[in-house]
Amino acid sequence: MNKKKISSIIFGIIPIVLFFLFWELFAEYEILNPALFSKPTIIFPKLFDKFPELIHHLSATIYRLLVSFFIALGIGIAIGMLMGYKKIIYRSLNPLITTVMTVPGIAMAPIFILWFGFGDPTIITIGIIVAFFPIVYNVAMGVRSVDKRLVQAANIMGGKRKNIFLNVYLPHSVSYIVIGIKLGLARCWRTIVAVEFIAATSYGLGYMIWDAYEYLNFSVVYGGIIIMAILFFTIEKTAIRQLEKRTIERWGLVHENE
Amino acid sequence: MKMNKELIKNKLLALIQFLIPIIVVIVLWEIIVYFELIIQLPAPSAIYNKFVYLMFEKKILTNHIYGSFYRLILGYILAIILGIFVGSIISLKKIISDMLTPMLSLLIAIPTIAWVPVLLITLGLGDKTVIAAVFLGGFFAITYSTMHGIRMVDKNLINAAKISGAKKTSMFISIFLPGSLVSLIPGLRLAIGYSWRALVGAEMLAAMVKWGVGKMIYTSRFWNDIEAMFLGLVIIGIGGLLLDQLLMRYIERVTVERWGMISEG
Amino acid sequence: MKKEAKIKVEGLKKVFEGENKVTALEDVNMEIYGNEFAVILGPSGCGKSTLLYLMAGFEKPTKGNMYLDGKKIKKPGPDRGFVFQDFALYPWRTVLKNVTFPLELKGLPKVEAQKMANKYIKMVGLDGFENAFPHTLSGGMKQRVGIARALVYEPEVLLMDEPFGSLDAQTRKQMQIELEKIWEKNKKTVVFVTHSVIEAVYLADRVFVMTARPGKIKDIVKVNLIRPRDYTDENFLKVREKVLEILESEVEKSMHQKQEIEKT
Repeated sequence: MNKKKISSIIFGIIPIVLFFLFWELFAEYEILNPALFSKPTIIFPKLFDKFPELIHHLSATIYRLLVSFFIALGIGIAIGMLMGYKKIIYRSLNPLITTVMTVPGIAMAPIFILWFGFGDPTIITIGIIVAFFPIVYNVAMGVRSVDKRLVQAANIMGGKRKNIFLNVYLPHSVSYIVIGIKLGLARCWRTIVAVEFIAATSYGLGYMIWDAYEYLNFSVVYGGIIIMAILFFTIEKTAIRQLEKRTIERWGLVHENE
Repeated sequence: MKMNKELIKNKLLALIQFLIPIIVVIVLWEIIVYFELIIQLPAPSAIYNKFVYLMFEKKILTNHIYGSFYRLILGYILAIILGIFVGSIISLKKIISDMLTPMLSLLIAIPTIAWVPVLLITLGLGDKTVIAAVFLGGFFAITYSTMHGIRMVDKNLINAAKISGAKKTSMFISIFLPGSLVSLIPGLRLAIGYSWRALVGAEMLAAMVKWGVGKMIYTSRFWNDIEAMFLGLVIIGIGGLLLDQLLMRYIERVTVERWGMISEG
Repeated sequence: MKKEAKIKVEGLKKVFEGENKVTALEDVNMEIYGNEFAVILGPSGCGKSTLLYLMAGFEKPTKGNMYLDGKKIKKPGPDRGFVFQDFALYPWRTVLKNVTFPLELKGLPKVEAQKMANKYIKMVGLDGFENAFPHTLSGGMKQRVGIARALVYEPEVLLMDEPFGSLDAQTRKQMQIELEKIWEKNKKTVVFVTHSVIEAVYLADRVFVMTARPGKIKDIVKVNLIRPRDYTDENFLKVREKVLEILESEVEKSMHQKQEIEKT
C-alpha cells in the first residue's frame, strides 16, 4: 500500500516539476518575456523572502474565511432544516434562494462597499451570503429526502417527534450537510479572494496579489497564485476528505455529487 | 393529447407557485422603502425606472448586455471545445491521466479570479482578458467532467463492445463519448456557472473594458448610482438563472435524463 | 370454548384520495388468534400491504376499526413490530445499534439494551457482525437485522410486509426456513404479507386469500401440516393447489386492472 501511494505521489509531481522547468527555460531563453512571465527561480525565493508578510496576508484571508463560513453554516443548517421539515417554509423560501444563488459574490461588492466601506465587514458579509446558499439548499434537500420507511420504522418502535428528529432526520441530513459544506466552503474562499481584489485595503491574499499587480510586482502575483493553489488544494484534500471519510463513506452513502 | 394539456397546466401552476414568494418580497420591499424604514435600499420601482431609462432613453443597456454575452459565448464555447478535447486526450492512456490528475486538481483549486491579474499582465486590459477568464472558468470544470465521465463508463458496456470486436477508435466514438455525457452534461452546467461568475469578475477588473454588466455595476459605484448597481445585480441574477435553468437544465433533460442516466428529483 | 381474537378487523375500508381515487380495501373482516402465524396472500395491487400498514398504524382507515388485544389501533406503537420489504435499516448505525435503537427509545440503560440486542442478533444468526454497517451486508443479512430489530422489544404482534420480496430465490428459501425455526421458538403472533403461494403454505397456520382491488378476504385456508414442512410433500402440494385455485381468478383480475391503468 505504502509503495503504491509513494509512487503515485511521485508520478503526480513529475508533470508539475516539468511545468516549472519549462517555464524557467522559456523565460530564460526569452521565448516568453521574462518581464511579464517571471522566472520560477525568482518567484520562489521572493516568496521565502516575504514569508512573514505572506503569513500576515494569509491569516487575514483565512480569518475572513472561517468567520463567514461558520456563520453561514449555522444559519444555513438552521434554515435548511426548517425548510426541509415544513413544506410551506420550503415553498416560500426556495424560489428566493434559487434566484439569488446564482449571483456572483464579486458583483455584490460595489454595493456593499457603498454601504459598509472597504475591509472586513464587506468581505465577511459577502462571504456569508455566498457560503449560505449551497449549504441551505443541500440541507433542505437532505431533510426532504428522508426515506419515509425510516420514519415509519422509528414510529412503530415507539419514537416520539424529538427522537425521530435526532435519530432519523439529523443523521440522514449529515451526508447532505457534508456536500453543502464542500460546495459552500469552495464558493466562500473563491469569492473572498475575489472580493479582496477590490475591497481589501491593507491585507489579505487577494489584496496582496492585486497590490502586487498594480505595482508591477509580477513575481508576487504568480507567487500568490501558486500559494492559493497549494493552500486550497490542501484544505480540500485534508479537512474535507476527512469529513467525508468519517461520515458518508463510512455509512456507504456516497452520492454522485458535483 | 390529454396528457399535453395536463402537463402545460401543471408547469404553469409550478411557475406561478415559484413566482409568488418573489412577488411578495418585491411588494414588501417597495413598502419598506416607501415608508423609509430602510434608507439605503433603492425601491424596486426606482430600479425599474432606471431600467427603462438605460434601456430606452439612453439605449446603452443593450450594449452592456451584448458586450457581456458576446464574451461569455466566445469563452464558453472555447472552453467546451478545448475542455472536451484535452479531457479526452488525457483519458486515452491511464498513465497520462494518473500523472496529470494531481496537477489538474491543483489548477482547479485556484479561484478563477486569481488568474485575472496574470491575464491582465499577459493579454492586456481589454476584451481578450475577459474572454480568457470566461474560458478558464469553464475549461477546468469541463476537462475534469470529461475525464470523470470517460472513467466512469460502465465496464460492461466496454466489455460488450470488446467482445464484438470493436476497435479502439470506434469504441471511443460510440461508447466512451456518449457514456461520458452523464458526467459531461452536468459538468457543462456547472461550467457555465463558473464562466458567468468569471465574466462578471473579470469585467470589473479589466480597466479598458467599457461595456458589460459587471462593468456597469463597477462604474456605477463611482457615480453613487445605486439603482443602476441593483439593476446590474438583477440582470446578472436573471441571466445566471436563465442560463442554468432554461438552457442547461433543458439540455440535461433531453439527453441524459431522457436516457435514464440521471434523475433529478 | 371460543378463543378471543388477538387482532380483530371490522368492516375496514380504505380509500386513497388523489388524482385518481383508489379504493384499496372494501369491507375487510378478519380475526387473527394469538400465537398464530397468519399469512395474507393476494395478487399485486390487491391492498394486502395497505392492510398491513393500517394494522401498523402508518395509515388511518377510511371506515371501520381494528383492535389489538381489545384496544383500538390508532397509531404506530411498540406493541407491534414491523419488518419492511426494503429493510429500512439506518445506514449510519451499526447492526448492533440498529437493534438497540427501539430499546434506546424505550429508555433502557445501555448495558441491558446491548445484552438484549446481542441475544436477538445471535438468534437470527448474525453474531460476529455487530459492528458492521448495513451497506456492507447482503440482502438476506440486512433482513435478519430487520427481523432482530422488530423482535428485540418483544412486541405483541409481528407484522411483515413481503419481507423476502427483495431477495433472490435461494436466499428467500433459506430465510423462510430460518424464520420458521425462529418462530417455533417463541410462537409470536405473526401477520405476514406475500404474493407467493409456496411461501404462504410453508409458513402459515392460516392463509387469508384476498380478492383483487378493491380488496376483501375471499377465503381462509387452514394449513394443518406438521412443521417444519416439506416443499415436496404430497400434502403440501395438495394445499398449494387448493390455494392456487382460489387465487388464480383474482390474479387475472388484477392483471386486467394493471392493463387498464397502463392504457390511460
